[in-house]
Amino acid sequence: MPVLSRNDSSVLGRWWWTVDRWTLFSVAALIGFGYVMMLAASPAVAERIGQSRDIFILKQVVFLAIAGLLVIGVSLLTPRGIRRVALAGCTIALAMTAATMLVGVEIKGARRWIALPGLSLQPSEFLKPCFAVVAAWLINEGRRTPRFPGMPIACGLFALIAVVLKSQPDIGMLAVIAAVFFAQLYLAGLNLFLVGMGVLGLGSAAGAAYLLFPHVRSRVERFLDPSTGDSYQVRTALEAFGNGGLLGRGPGEGHVKDILPDAHADFVFAVAGEEFGMLVCLIILGIFAFIVIRALLRQLQEQDLFIVLASSGLAVGFGLQAFVNMGSSLHLIPTKGMTLPFVSYGGSSALAVALGIGMLLALTRRRNHGDLV
Amino acid sequence: MTIDPESEPPQSPTTRRGTPRHGSVPLMETVWVTAPDLNRRAALERTRSRLVLAAGGFMFLFVAVLLKLVDATIIQPLPAHQPERHAAQPFSPPADEQPAQKALQHEQRAMITDRNGEILAISLPTASVYANPREVADAAEAAHKLKQVLPRLDEQTVRARLSSEKQFIYLARQITPGEQLAINRLGIPGIYFEQTEKRRYPMGRVAAQILGGVDVDGHGIAGVERFFEKRLHDDPSPLRLALDVRVQAVVRDELSRAMQEFGAIGACGIVMDVRTGEVLAMVSLPDYDANKEGEAEADARFNRAVTGMYEPGSTFKLQTASMALDSGLVHIWNQFDASHNIHIGRFTISDFEGKHRWLYLPEVLAYSSNLGAAHIAQTMGAERQRAWLRSMGMLARTGIELPEQGLPIVPPAANWRDVVTLTVGFGHGIAVSPLHVVRGTAAIANGGILPRPTIVDKDEESPQGTRVMQQSTSDTMRKLMRLVVTNGYGKSAEVPGYYPGGKTGTAEKVGHHGYKKHANVAAFTSVFPMNAPRYAVYMMLDEPHATAATHGYATAGWVAAPAAGRVIARIGPMLGLLPDLTDKAAIDASLYIPLRPGRERAPAAPVASANFRREAALRMTAGPATSHDPAR
Repeated sequence: MPVLSRNDSSVLGRWWWTVDRWTLFSVAALIGFGYVMMLAASPAVAERIGQSRDIFILKQVVFLAIAGLLVIGVSLLTPRGIRRVALAGCTIALAMTAATMLVGVEIKGARRWIALPGLSLQPSEFLKPCFAVVAAWLINEGRRTPRFPGMPIACGLFALIAVVLKSQPDIGMLAVIAAVFFAQLYLAGLNLFLVGMGVLGLGSAAGAAYLLFPHVRSRVERFLDPSTGDSYQVRTALEAFGNGGLLGRGPGEGHVKDILPDAHADFVFAVAGEEFGMLVCLIILGIFAFIVIRALLRQLQEQDLFIVLASSGLAVGFGLQAFVNMGSSLHLIPTKGMTLPFVSYGGSSALAVALGIGMLLALTRRRNHGDLV
Repeated sequence: MTIDPESEPPQSPTTRRGTPRHGSVPLMETVWVTAPDLNRRAALERTRSRLVLAAGGFMFLFVAVLLKLVDATIIQPLPAHQPERHAAQPFSPPADEQPAQKALQHEQRAMITDRNGEILAISLPTASVYANPREVADAAEAAHKLKQVLPRLDEQTVRARLSSEKQFIYLARQITPGEQLAINRLGIPGIYFEQTEKRRYPMGRVAAQILGGVDVDGHGIAGVERFFEKRLHDDPSPLRLALDVRVQAVVRDELSRAMQEFGAIGACGIVMDVRTGEVLAMVSLPDYDANKEGEAEADARFNRAVTGMYEPGSTFKLQTASMALDSGLVHIWNQFDASHNIHIGRFTISDFEGKHRWLYLPEVLAYSSNLGAAHIAQTMGAERQRAWLRSMGMLARTGIELPEQGLPIVPPAANWRDVVTLTVGFGHGIAVSPLHVVRGTAAIANGGILPRPTIVDKDEESPQGTRVMQQSTSDTMRKLMRLVVTNGYGKSAEVPGYYPGGKTGTAEKVGHHGYKKHANVAAFTSVFPMNAPRYAVYMMLDEPHATAATHGYATAGWVAAPAAGRVIARIGPMLGLLPDLTDKAAIDASLYIPLRPGRERAPAAPVASANFRREAALRMTAGPATSHDPAR
């Protein structure tokens, strides 16, 4: 790390002294874990994907490098710039998500991916951070500017996203976006009656998903009573944690990655638990908790409602994604395929998460009355 | 934020958080704030309190993950592959030796032995190799390695099965210990062994149909294995059969020899203890190696002795004669008209080489006269005949402990017309199994007690069963059976010193369009020694063909009776019966009955032999084509 003078007033110099360096280091640590886990899981996954191991590793190294650069690059932007990026991103991602219906690749019964050379892109991954920022802007603008119907537009946009995601179907992503949006509404000061209504609404939506979508129902039933169905994945994951114990079996010594088809993505936490043990898992968990809670608590000093809502939305989305991933592999919640930010293998996911974290870093930079210090 | 310019300078200025003390912007105690701004600040305050709540919520979630993580890794770590534990249990060294030993013994299927303790069936420990494909990391490599150890596997198939999503597949059953060791040494994860047992039949073809067999899971599927499935499974002590493998081997040997000599398509032989009903030998040819039950043809698996239903033919004349004598309606020296063929409906009953005169009852048996037997049956009537047959067990299953035992083919009572009475009198129009015939013969010879045939060794020596005739009737019948061998068609069964008696029976087989002219079932049912009956010997050939040595005959007297004689000569010493030649004169006298009242005395053996040769020559000149009668 080049030593930057406090007086350095170049773009990078100002960035270095104003950015939330603790979060930045935390993200760097996560990316480091991402490398390690990729090396651990690569032989098994490379074979499954049908690629040579070298290409496989090279691709992920490139993706993680791009993700790191994306984090830094986006965090250089001003809040205004973030707002513009988010607006553009939200529009493009929504359009592409809708386009998956037409040109998408169907994998395991859902059309969520668009095939690009080198990677298959899941546009809804990008929709999540972008919509958080856009929603924050709309809510704040609705407050600030009279007769600007910010809230109705935000709700309408959310409804549109909900319809698109429901028809993919991608109920898990919809649930996270809904939770993020609801958290933003709550933070924006929604009265408690409406909060109660919202909780009820989310609950009934979950119930409807349970009744309407067979795969949702089977997952929940398997979670509630493992004996009813095939709880093989969760059971194997738990065995992997048990196998790992306190210090793990050692790098490359695990075998859950050979057994579970999604070990490199949805069950990467189990791979970490088996090979590196509870302590390393606790460190990963601690980093996620640190990033999320620090991001939320830092908003206590923030005066700008837009910044508060956008940062909180990004942090909540990031945190929920991590929680769902870790909770699934530990049988704390029904299994839901969601990547562990930066740690899981996958280009699309890493870039989307990098975009979100970059925005969060940009928004939480220290500034004076809206201007960067 | 707006500051009121008219307010007093602050007494105790507060500073904004985060700003240095010097040059800080003082906050006034009294400030004017615009209403929208005030609202905005209140809203921000509410937002902040809710932010703390949200952070707390996340804290809760992450702590939950933390607790669950600690629980899953060190507090209650899940042992790997619990589902496989059960199957793998036999391999883990048992903590307590005693119960494990017991459990193993309990699982072992009981042995089957013959009456002398020779092992007929035994379970040997063996292993099956199976896989949990979900744990097999590299199906192709695993299949390749397994192929090296077990060349009988198909590599492609194994690879496909190992790549499936199942959790349990058998790769090979009943592998050898060497193969198990070699597979274990391959160290392929997801491959396991299951301790099983393999049923072996050390005697191979001996008693194959009686023993039956077990399926791949060790459950009996035929024969004794099936009938005693529960017993063999629950009780580890050996199941002792009544069979004597030595007798079984002799019967098989003589049967296959006769079968080869006369080009028969099948053969059947039974040796039964006439007092207890124990079956010492039961052979059905063709047979098969019991260890290769799966490769056996259906014909080989068919047990002719209990499943095959054949018209008994002239052997049934023993039943007709016993019934008549026991009823008291017929006297031994009554005569029956064999001079004219009987025409009834569209049937004609005639004699083979008939005497064309009236015959005494002993002559009816010795010359095997159909006309005589038909007249006796007519005298008795349908009702007594049916009652007799029922009491002799000819209308139901024999009750032997074999699941394959068949039901006799008997005309229904409503259809039991006169012609049926007549033909059944000489063993036609009814079909029973060889075991039915043997039991009936045993009952006639043993003093009149119908034994229950059994394949299991019994300790009792005394006659078991129900009395079906008077002792005196049985005594007379013994003499008549002996007469058939000394003076009738059964001469070739004679064994010096064993005094066998019996009855021949040759029946044309029933085809799709009536009787088949040149397809016979030739049987000889006999008991020895006739002075103190111990064993019934039954020998039957299915579709024998005449040879030059038999002068063109394929009848029971030529093909089955000699085989029975050879069996008696060989098994007698084995069963502790030595030929009694010293008391020959006395025994011959005690068994003597003349063909006709007061005409002949007991002939000396050489005379009988000459007599036999003369009759044979006579029969040859008469030729087989002279009769269209199915029974001889």
